[in-house]
Amino acid sequence: MLKIDNKADIFHYRTLLFILCFSLSSLIGRYFYLQVIDHERHFSKSEVNSVKALTTYAPRGLIMDRHGEILVDNYPTYILTATPYELKDRDEVFIKLSSIVNVSAEELDRKYKKFYRGRFLPTTIAKNLTFQEISQIEEMRLEFPGIQYSRSDERIYSPILNDAHFLGYLREVDRDTIPKLDKKLLYRAGELIGWQGVEKEYERELRFSKGIDYIEVDTYGREILRLNDSNIPAFPGENLSLTIDASLQRYCRNILEGKKGSVLVSNVDTGEILSMVSAPSYDLSIYRGKTLDSEWNNLLKNKDNPLLNRSIAGLYPAGSKLKLITVINLIEKNLVDPSDSLMCTGVYIPPGSTNEFRCWNENGHGLVDLNKAIAQSCNIYFYETVQLISLEDWTGTAKKFGFNGSTKIDLPNEKNGLIPDKDFYIRNYGRWGWSERGVLLNLTLGQGDILITPVQALRFINHIASRGETPQLRLSLSKETSYYDKILYTEKVWNHIWDGMFDAVNADQGSGWRARLKGSDIKLFGKTSTAENPHGEPHAWFIGFFEVEGTTYSIVVMIENGGGGGAVASPIAGDIVSYYINSFKSLAKK
Amino acid sequence: MKMVFINKFILSGTKDSLFRLFFIIIGLTAFSLITLYSISDNPLSFNSSFYRQSIFLIFSSIVFIIVQNIKMKTIHDNSTFIFIGTVILCIVPFFLPAVEYTYRWIDLGFFYIQPSEYLKCATVIVIAKYLSNHQLEVKDNSIILIPSALTLLSAFIVLNQPDLGTAVIICAPLLPMLLWAGVSNFMIFLMIAPVITVLAASNIISFTIWAIIMFIFFLIFQASILTKSMLYFANIFTGLLTPFLWNNLAEYQKQRILTFLNPDLDPMGSAYHIIQSITAIGSGGLFGKGWGLGSQTQLKFLPVQESDFILSVIAEELGFFGIFCVMILCFLLIKTLLDIAFRSPDYFASLVIVGLGSILLSHIFINSAMTIGLIPVKGLPIPFISAGGSFLLSCFIMIGLVVSFSKN
Repeated sequence: MLKIDNKADIFHYRTLLFILCFSLSSLIGRYFYLQVIDHERHFSKSEVNSVKALTTYAPRGLIMDRHGEILVDNYPTYILTATPYELKDRDEVFIKLSSIVNVSAEELDRKYKKFYRGRFLPTTIAKNLTFQEISQIEEMRLEFPGIQYSRSDERIYSPILNDAHFLGYLREVDRDTIPKLDKKLLYRAGELIGWQGVEKEYERELRFSKGIDYIEVDTYGREILRLNDSNIPAFPGENLSLTIDASLQRYCRNILEGKKGSVLVSNVDTGEILSMVSAPSYDLSIYRGKTLDSEWNNLLKNKDNPLLNRSIAGLYPAGSKLKLITVINLIEKNLVDPSDSLMCTGVYIPPGSTNEFRCWNENGHGLVDLNKAIAQSCNIYFYETVQLISLEDWTGTAKKFGFNGSTKIDLPNEKNGLIPDKDFYIRNYGRWGWSERGVLLNLTLGQGDILITPVQALRFINHIASRGETPQLRLSLSKETSYYDKILYTEKVWNHIWDGMFDAVNADQGSGWRARLKGSDIKLFGKTSTAENPHGEPHAWFIGFFEVEGTTYSIVVMIENGGGGGAVASPIAGDIVSYYINSFKSLAKK
Repeated sequence: MKMVFINKFILSGTKDSLFRLFFIIIGLTAFSLITLYSISDNPLSFNSSFYRQSIFLIFSSIVFIIVQNIKMKTIHDNSTFIFIGTVILCIVPFFLPAVEYTYRWIDLGFFYIQPSEYLKCATVIVIAKYLSNHQLEVKDNSIILIPSALTLLSAFIVLNQPDLGTAVIICAPLLPMLLWAGVSNFMIFLMIAPVITVLAASNIISFTIWAIIMFIFFLIFQASILTKSMLYFANIFTGLLTPFLWNNLAEYQKQRILTFLNPDLDPMGSAYHIIQSITAIGSGGLFGKGWGLGSQTQLKFLPVQESDFILSVIAEELGFFGIFCVMILCFLLIKTLLDIAFRSPDYFASLVIVGLGSILLSHIFINSAMTIGLIPVKGLPIPFISAGGSFLLSCFIMIGLVVSFSKN
C-alpha cells in the first residue's frame, strides 16, 4: 500500500462513463444504420463484388500520312505489375524476378517506388516482356505472390520515317504528374501518355477508352467464369491522319542529312503542312524499351541539340526576307515611286553619321529600282528608303504577319518570335541608348534583335502567296480550316512583292537563281535571306511559293550556319520543289 | 451515500470486477480466434494468422501471469526508469535500417517488437506517478505542465517514426488522467478549446456556434476577467487566423499536410479500402452471412482483414448481432476498468488504470470508426481481437498491471 489514498470524485467517474457511453453508442448507431437500415444497398453491392472488375485496354490510334501510309503503329508487349499488399517479401521476389526478366532488382525497386499508387493497387514494375518470360513467370506463379502481368501496347515507328519531331512520343505517367492531367481520361501511374508532338496534341483522340471485364473469382481471386454479358468493351483510339506527305518528307529529310536546319512545305490554300523536317534528328525508337542511360546522355549533351524541333521552336534572325515588310510600308503609303531608282555604290552613310553601312555586293548594284532591290536584295536601297518609315509602322506591319506570336499550329511547345518595338528598346537599352533611325537600319534587313521560327516564316510566305488571307497551318488532315486574321493591302502592294520575288528566282541577276526550276514551265517565286548571327556562319534562308494544277504551295528552307541564302538554301529549295512537281507528273502517268 | 450509488451500478467488490474482466477478455479473444479461423486459408498451418495468434495468446498469457505478480510498489518506484528505458527503445529504430520505410520496429530475428506499444503504458505510469506525488498541488494550474510535456515528448518521438496513429493514442490518456486527478475543469477546457477552435474554423457557422459556446463557458468559470478575456480572444484569433494560414499555403503544401494526415490518400486508389469495408459491413445485415461465408471477406476484397479491418469481417459474417456483442464486451471492459479505478484505495493505481482504460478505449474507437468510414484510415488495431503479436502482448501487459494494482 502506498501513502496516498484515492480521492476519485463521483463527478469525474460519471464524466468518463458518459464519454464511454457516447462514443460506443455512436459507433453502434452507425453500425446499425449500415447493417440494418442500409443493408439492401450494400448487400446487392457485395453480390456484384464477388465478381471482380478488370480494366481492359484497347490499342491507341494509329498515325498515318495523308495518303494512308502508316507512320506510327502498335505492337503488343507484356507489362509486369506488383500489388504491394500481397507482396510479402519484396526484395526476395524482385531478386528472383530479375533472373527471369533481365532487369536488375534495383531497377524493379526503382520503378516500384516511382509508380506506387496505394497498398492495394497494382504497380507497374517492368515492361516489354516477351512471351517466354511471361510463361516462365506463370510456371513459378506460387513463388511470386502479388505479381501479375497484363498486355500493353507499345508504339512502333515506320522505319522510313522514325525520326520526325512532329510525331512526338509517349511517356509513362508517374505519381507526380497525375494530378495535372485530365481526370476524364482516367490515367493511372505507369500508363502511357502522349508527351510531345502530335501524340500530345491529339492525346484525347488517339487515346483508347478503357473497358471493364467482369470476372467471377474464387476464394483465391482466381478467375472461374467470364461473365460476358455485362462487359463494357474498351474502344481503340481514333486513327490520326496527318497532312504530311511521307515521300516528300523522306526526300526533305535526306536532303538535310548532315546539315542543321529546317524545311517546311505547305499547301497555301488549305494550310496543310506537307513536310516538316528538323535536322539533326534522332531515332524515335529510343523512347521504347530498354534505352541505356549513356545513350540518353549522349543525346541530351549533344551540342547540335537533336531533341529540338527547329521548325517550331528554333529561334533565328530573319534576314532580308523582312525587306518585304519595308516594301509594304513604302507602297501602301505611296512613299516612293516603284520605278524611281537609287544609286547603290556599295556603301551607305546615314545623314549626320560617320558609320559606313555596306551592301552585300561590295561593288554596288548601280541604279536600283524597287523590283531590282527585291530581286537582288540590295541593302542600300532599303537603308535609304526605310528612313521614310516610322519604327511603329514597321513593327506594326511585322506583327500583322504574326511574327512576335505563335502560328497556332497544332503542335505543343511552339516558341513565339521577337519583333523588337519601342517598349522593347526602352526596356533593354534605356531611354537614350538607341535611336529610331539606327535600329530601323538593322530591322529592315531582318537583323538586330529580331528572332523568328521557320514556321513563322512559312506563315509569312503563305500570307504573301494568298495575298493576305491564308488558313491556319495544321498537321491533322481532319482538323477544321480556320483562317488567320486577314491582312488587307491594295493589289498594288502584292503585285510589287510578287514581281520582285519572281525576279529573285527567274531574272538573270536574282539572288535566288539557283532555285530556278529547270525543264519546267512552273514558276517559283522566292526570296533569299542571309541572316548574320553571332554564332558563326550566317543562317541561309529561302522562302518561296509556286502553283501546280491550280493549287499554291509554299516552301521554307533554313540551314543553320549554312552560309548565303542564295548559294546554300536556294538550290535545296529548287530540288525539293522539282521533286514535288515530278511526283505530280508520275502520279498523272499512273 | 457514495456506497449506495456504487452498489446500484456495480455488481460489487473488486474481486468480482476482476472475475468479470477475465470473462470479458476470454469473450473478446474468442471472437478474435473464431474470426481468424474463418479467414485463414489453412488455419492449422504455421503461417496462418489463426495459428500465429494462438501461439501469441499462450505467450501473452504467460507474460500476463508474470506481470500481475509484480508488486505495484516496484513499478511505482521504478516508473521513471521504465519511462526513460522505453523512450530509449523508441529511439533505437532510428539507428537501424528502415523497415517498410518506417522506423517503428526492432528486429529480434524471430519477432519484430514495436517499442512505441510499450511507450503508451510507460507514459501513463510516469504521469500517474507525478500526479499522485503532487496531489496537494492539484488545484494549482501549473500542475498540467509536466504531464503535458512528457506526453508531447513521447508523441513527438513516435510521430517521427512516423506513426501518427500511435502518437494520437499516446496523447489520449492525458485529459482523462488530469480530470481524474482533479485538475480544475477550467484548465481541462482550456486544453481542449484550441483544438476545437482550429477544427471549427473551417466553417463560418460552426465557428460562430463554437465562439458562443466558448463565451458561455468562459462566463461560468471562475478566473479574473482579464485572464478570461485574454484567453477567449486568443482562441478567437487562432480560429480567425487558421483559414487564412491554410489558404496562404501553396497547393503542394496543403497536399503534403493532407497526405500526412491520411497517408493512403491516392487519387486513383482513394477510399478503396473504406468502400470495401463499408460494403462488407453493410452486406452483413442483422445476423450476417454466416461464419466463413462472407463473400467480401473470403474473396479477399477486404484489405488487412486479420488486423485493421477484422471488425468488418465480424460484421459481414456475424452481422449486427456479432458487432453488438463485441461492442458490449468493449463497453464492459472499459466500464470494469473504470469501476476498479474508482474503487481502488490507492491514488497512483487508480490513475494508471484510468490511463490504460483511455488507451484501450481510443484504440477501440479509432479502429471501429475507421472501418465504418468515420475517420481516415489509420493502421490501428482493436484490442484483443486484431491479429498481431506486439499489440496483443501490450494489451495483456496492461491488463496484468490492472490486476496487479487492484490486488493491494
